Amino acid sequence: MKILAAKKILKVNDQLAADNRAKLDAAGVFGVNVVGSPGSGKTTLLEALFAELHAGLKPAVIEGDIAGLIDAQRIEALGVPVVQINTEGACHLDAAMVASAMGELDLSAVDVLFIENVGNLVCTAGFDLGERLRIVVLSTPEGDDKAVKYPAIFQGSHALFITKTDLTPHLNFNAQRITADMKCLAPNAPVFQVSALKGQGIPEAAKWLAEKVGGR
Amino acid sequence: MHELSIVDALIEQVGREVHRAGHTGKVRGIELSIGRLSGVNCDSLHFAFELLAPGTLVEGAEIVIHQVKAACRCHACNARVEIDDLVFHCPKCAGDDIIIEGGRDLILQNIEVDDAERVESGE
Repeated sequence: MKILAAKKILKVNDQLAADNRAKLDAAGVFGVNVVGSPGSGKTTLLEALFAELHAGLKPAVIEGDIAGLIDAQRIEALGVPVVQINTEGACHLDAAMVASAMGELDLSAVDVLFIENVGNLVCTAGFDLGERLRIVVLSTPEGDDKAVKYPAIFQGSHALFITKTDLTPHLNFNAQRITADMKCLAPNAPVFQVSALKGQGIPEAAKWLAEKVGGR
Repeated sequence: MHELSIVDALIEQVGREVHRAGHTGKVRGIELSIGRLSGVNCDSLHFAFELLAPGTLVEGAEIVIHQVKAACRCHACNARVEIDDLVFHCPKCAGDDIIIEGGRDLILQNIEVDDAERVESGE
């Protein structure tokens, strides 16, 4: 005989992500999942944004890497609370890892929690971490065709940060192309063009972020 | 992508549904709907099932997968076209004012169990 279910396949991660989101909401913390390829400039972007965050927004960071403490040490040097997760092989962070790392932070002293994901444009698309906002970071040397090649991660993001814009004169990068593709995939997502090292575009991006956090 | 963890969760979910319906017997078949834009590869899903089913209540069960198309709705020409893959322009008029609907879900539709074994529900 047939047992009728007609239910979504429950992904364990989704349950845990919902728990994380509830915990962050209860603590008044706004979660941001930062995704992008290895070397796209995620950590450098965070460093630049922290220098600009207005309205006394207090950040904290969960760093995700396969190995090493390099990124956590950079964030720590700025006096920002940080926890490093070493996945030891897993190609993405998941909600369970983030829950564990959240336990090591004093969330009562935090306004916005940045979760810097493992460098990966593929698998990170499938794992909700409990964030309110997902931002995808794409650097100019990676090329302007990435939204077509890796649609899921761009579609699931609330903003696109094009980084390393200072290198554009040396490249074949067409910002209009990726901006148009992003408009199809995520019509309400703004596209920011920044150079974190030179400071271009950072104040506008920080302002947008502060508005998002404040309007939660 | 990550079909092993999906099948792992599916097997547990099948177990809960079977238990909820008061059955203790063998699962003969599982019917799934997999959206074409869900990012799940059906061959990998079958393979993951072969790896994880032995020793569980779903060992030997036949997995039937219905692949569900998505649709591209165009605001410029009002067309609604079924699609198997993501598009960036309307297949009819090539316009870019489009919305992609559906095709993303993974649904456990039903579970076929042996008739013979059933216990009274309420335990």
